[in-house]
Amino acid sequence: MKTPSREIWRKYTEAETFDRIVGFDSVAQMWSVRSKEFADSTAIVDQGESVSYSALDAEVARFRSRLGADMAKGTCVGLLIPNSLAFVRAFLAVVTLGGTAVILPAHLDEKAVFGCCMKFGIRKLVCVPETEERTAFAAGRVPGLEVIPAGDLPDTAAPAAEVGGSDPCVIMFTGGTTGKSKGCLLSNTAVMQGTVNGCYGYAEVFEQRYLLILPLSHVFGLIRNLLTSLYTGSALFICRNNKDMFRDIAVFRPTVLVMVPALAEMALSLSKKFGRNMLGEDLKTIICGAAPVAPYLVAAYKEIGIDLFPGYGLTESANLVSGNPESLRLPESVGIMYPDQEYRIEDGELWLKGLNMFDGYIGEEEESRTEGWFRTGDLVRVDEEGFLYITGRIKEIIVLPSGENVSPAEVEAHFNALDCVQDSQVFEAENDNGSVILALEVVPRMTALTAVPPEEVHSFVRGELEKVNRALPSFQQVSRIVIRDRDFDRTPSMKIARYKK
Amino acid sequence: MSREEIIARLKTILLDTDERSAAALDACGEDAELTTDLGLNSVGMLFMVISIEESFGVVFENVAIGDFVTVRDVVDYLETRLKETGAL
Repeated sequence: MKTPSREIWRKYTEAETFDRIVGFDSVAQMWSVRSKEFADSTAIVDQGESVSYSALDAEVARFRSRLGADMAKGTCVGLLIPNSLAFVRAFLAVVTLGGTAVILPAHLDEKAVFGCCMKFGIRKLVCVPETEERTAFAAGRVPGLEVIPAGDLPDTAAPAAEVGGSDPCVIMFTGGTTGKSKGCLLSNTAVMQGTVNGCYGYAEVFEQRYLLILPLSHVFGLIRNLLTSLYTGSALFICRNNKDMFRDIAVFRPTVLVMVPALAEMALSLSKKFGRNMLGEDLKTIICGAAPVAPYLVAAYKEIGIDLFPGYGLTESANLVSGNPESLRLPESVGIMYPDQEYRIEDGELWLKGLNMFDGYIGEEEESRTEGWFRTGDLVRVDEEGFLYITGRIKEIIVLPSGENVSPAEVEAHFNALDCVQDSQVFEAENDNGSVILALEVVPRMTALTAVPPEEVHSFVRGELEKVNRALPSFQQVSRIVIRDRDFDRTPSMKIARYKK
Repeated sequence: MSREEIIARLKTILLDTDERSAAALDACGEDAELTTDLGLNSVGMLFMVISIEESFGVVFENVAIGDFVTVRDVVDYLETRLKETGAL
């Protein structure tokens, strides 16, 4: 079944504004138009530096020159850069030159960086001083790899290339539907479709003030936050450290925030605790997604004059599948599906096709498509008005309220590497306040613990697990550890019977 | 402000994140680990740090949230910052 045409969204936006929401074939084409249309407007504010659209365009042209004006189309360029103006400049330079930007999460260690360079065929790797050290391992081992400092801006400028919709644009990390990290390839058409979808369903679209809190290595941050901001001629203030977000909000006074539910809930709790609206008086709209949105948030935010719109999306769908313009009336829905998609529901699972869909996982067997349909792994229902509801999940990936996707198997592998661990299971649990946390249960390998007095086995194993836990990226760290006295329940094929939420 | 007073105020903040974490602080004392003993996830840690900054009037500088492993780490850092700002 086809999703509704864009006309269904018209009633939520003034006619003149709605008609400005138009498609572009590629990010290069969009940037060519918008950088001139909003030339004098502020594009990015980062660490006190404010850069206009025209100034950013000039910097992008200089970095294109550094990448090499003759860079072959489709060349994979790795970006190992945390949220910053340098990221925006490098990303735009790569994709307007027809390259494929491989967005590496900025926390990756040197061996993971090397693995990504090999797996994705990265030819150039852009870094900043704080990540440069982690490129050395790859630089010494990947033949022909060029490491480029993001701040290296020559005086010469290089023109943008002709980039078409079917040309690859970006490779993003995703847990996919099986829970194993993959590189998801999105074309320019898909990225632009996702960018434009972000404009539907609310009144104030263009020339807004956005704050960037989400990591740009997450599709919600890259497409809905950065690219929709640039598409709409808005100013994007880059929050370098989430702990400073409320100080940044007080300075920049954003009108739109793109947030994960956990941060939206935290902002409400802090506002209540300290007796003032921590999000500022100028904020009108919160776009909330990347994890299930608690329905109460919609009404709670409306009380302080802020419209909160839940949505639903996946990395494989260039972020946005649906958005809810009627969240006050239907707070449990993730909204109406955006235009130019087709969907079917098989045994309750949502299957998708469309212009926004990915081109495949890099170097992986395609397990998640059937006859061209992407199986989302999410169980859904659609009501008589066409509003979508997520009713469950059949994929193994854990989506935290912070929007981060955690592959249980990947985290378990770190703990299973300990001699004293026979088997482990990482799963989603709740703390006493109902917040979602990661929990770990472990079966000790007693044969490796013969030197440890029996009464000290639990504390010894716990100590070893805590050491491993501390070394993990914070979003992968477990918040509860249980040492089991007996094995897990097993499936008929002897796999661990995984806990279901 | 004494160290005991800092811990008491920290406990009221933890009560807002997770009642279990405040109880764990009572049980484990300053050696309680923020993640595994108090059960704080990344958002809980963020809530704690922002609340501390608001409540104590200090700014956490030159430190990452991930640098804090135990309650003792947080209290030590706070003591140092409060001394630097003359509040202690």
